[in-house]
Parts: sequence; C-alpha cells; structure tokens
Amino acid sequence: MRDPSLPANLFARMVTKNGIDPAKGLGWGTFLAGFVPGLLQYQLGQRSKAGLAFLSCTALFFVGWAIVGERLFYWALFAADDKGGLTNGLARFGAMTLPEVINLPANAIGGFLAFDDTPTGLRMMRLPRDGEHFAGWLTGASGMLAAFWAAQAHWDLRLRRDASAVAEGAAAMANPALCAGLSWLVPGLGHAKAGQKDKAIVLGLSVLIVFALGLVFSSGQAVDRAHYSVWWIGQNLFGGGSLFASLVTGPMRSTGTPIDLDLGIVLCTVAGLMNLVVMCDAYTVAERSLFPLRSSGAAKSAAATTANKASQASSETSA
Amino acid sequence: MSLLFRIAVYLPVLFMIAVVVVGQQHATAKETLRAAATRTVRWTLWTLILVALMTVADVFVIGW
Repeated sequence: MRDPSLPANLFARMVTKNGIDPAKGLGWGTFLAGFVPGLLQYQLGQRSKAGLAFLSCTALFFVGWAIVGERLFYWALFAADDKGGLTNGLARFGAMTLPEVINLPANAIGGFLAFDDTPTGLRMMRLPRDGEHFAGWLTGASGMLAAFWAAQAHWDLRLRRDASAVAEGAAAMANPALCAGLSWLVPGLGHAKAGQKDKAIVLGLSVLIVFALGLVFSSGQAVDRAHYSVWWIGQNLFGGGSLFASLVTGPMRSTGTPIDLDLGIVLCTVAGLMNLVVMCDAYTVAERSLFPLRSSGAAKSAAATTANKASQASSETSA
Repeated sequence: MSLLFRIAVYLPVLFMIAVVVVGQQHATAKETLRAAATRTVRWTLWTLILVALMTVADVFVIGW
C-alpha cells in the first residue's frame, strides 16, 4: 500500500514497495534519472533542491563552455571527424565527453549549439583557447557535481525506502554524498567527515603522493586535457589535483618532452582511479554509520521476516 | 638505469595502491597499513611470476 505522504510517481512507488532487500540497489530507472541533475530531487518532492542541483550543474558547465566551445568535444573519448557514423552522432551531442555526460542536458545543448562538422569547424576544434585548461576543468566539474547530486538523491531515496530498518532518532554520521564530494576535492576529507580521521590521512596521503610523483616525473606535463584528454578522464577523478594542474602546471609552456612523461601520465591516472575507490569508500563509511553490515545469516533471516510481513499484509488487504 | 629507476618507483606505488584497496575493509590506519604491507608482498610475488612468464614467452617467441 502506498504511503499517502509521498508523491504518486514511479520513484515513490519504487522506494516504498515491501520486502525489498536493503543491500540491493534502487534500480535502472533511478540510475538513469541521475543523468538529469535535479530530476531525482524533483521526483522526491524536493523542489528547491532540484532547482539548485539543475542550476549549479548547468551554470558550471556553461561558464566553461563559453570559453572552450566546440573544443570541448575534441576532448571526447572519440573525437568526431567528417565520416559520419554512430560515434560521430554520439560525439555531436556530447555523449562521448566524459565526465560531462553525467550532466546530460547541458552537455547535449552545448554540443548542439557548438558542434560544427564542416572541415572549418573540425579545424577550429583543434585550435587552443586562452584559459582552456581551467575551462575544461569547470565543464568536467559540472559532470562530477551532477554525479554527487545523483548520489545525494540516491541516499534520500534509500532513507525513505529503508526507514523502517532505522532506529528512531538515529542519523548517519555524515551525508554520504557530501563525503564522496569532499573526497573528490581532497582525498581523505570524506573519511575525516565520516569519523575515520586516521584512515583519512593514510588514504589521502597515498593518493596525493602518487599524483605528485606523476607530476614531478613528467615535469608538470602529465595532467593536460588539451594534450592527453583520454588520460585526463581518469586523472580528473582526483578533482583537487586536476584543478591544481589546470591552474598551475597545465598552462606552463613546455620546453620539450620529459623522458618519463609516460610514467608521469600513468601515475596521475592511477592516482585518479585510486581516488575513485576512496570516494566510494567514503560514501560507504558514512552509509554504514546508519545501515551497518549484517552477517549473511542475519541478513537472510531479516529478509525472510520482511517477506513474511509483506505477504501477511497483502493477505490482510485482500481479505 | 631507467629500468632500475622504474622498479624503484613501482614498489612504493604498489604499496600505496594496496593501502587504498585494503582500506575499504578496515576502519583504522594501523590495520590498513598492516594489511597493505601483506598485500604488497603478495602482489610483488605475483609481479615476479608475471615477469618470469613473460620472459619465458619472450625467449620462446623471439629467442635468447
């Protein structure tokens, strides 16, 4: 039976159905809705939060897009050419531009407005712009921000779905999505917020040292979206590091190719991927402060109890 | 020299990757570092096995 306090829509029904295993995800519908910033918040009835999510992601994207324009789509996973085909079609609407694709509406509009597949347009894409490093970081940050807004909505959905499993008055030590976002900027900060301060230092230093080694070995050239755009996708998973690189090392004029440039690029990308693990763990640590892990036996018996209650409730309703 | 330098970089980086990977299963820094050390030793052994296998394959395909 639907909770009358919730709005009557697909997502509300999704989070209130009975007998659901709390360890399972919220489904593909919820996942896909996360690609439109604010849509999940809107479905949850959080109108002001939805507006804030949409506006913050869109503004961040278009500030960067105003500087880089069509060049943004030259940095896509597959850069477009004049041969047509599926990848060209996807690139035209920004579906190949990572991580901006998570902020799908702004990215698609940006692609539609700026993309020019004429020979002149394809030449223009290759033309460097002033301030393109920071602008590229801003558009990338809009995609990451969209991901964190989606994570926030997933957390709110989970709280509604599994509210019965939480003791009255209990609350998470910190907001999991905020912890993940903080870890994106400063590795380990999310863990510190979630209460694991000493682990935060160890994890944060590990990511920072690997990233710094990469920059040192490459003489600061490893993190450069304009030159190594596919590697940058991984490096940008450490947002603070890629921000530093976009402001300090990226705009530096290179005087030659360092002998260990390849090593530096790989190390900075590895640091970014390490930070992805740190972000996910920060989210999980905060989440488990409210929904602790249970042993598999306890989880099975709890699931069976929930299923029994659900069947009893449905038989009572039909009677 | 370049190879030696890269090997010297490889081990500490391997340890730091291990710290992040095992950190998911531990709540304190002490436990994390201890588990990361064990994991690094294990990964180093796997690395040596991999390098040995690749060297053998190299000898078979290209010759000594």
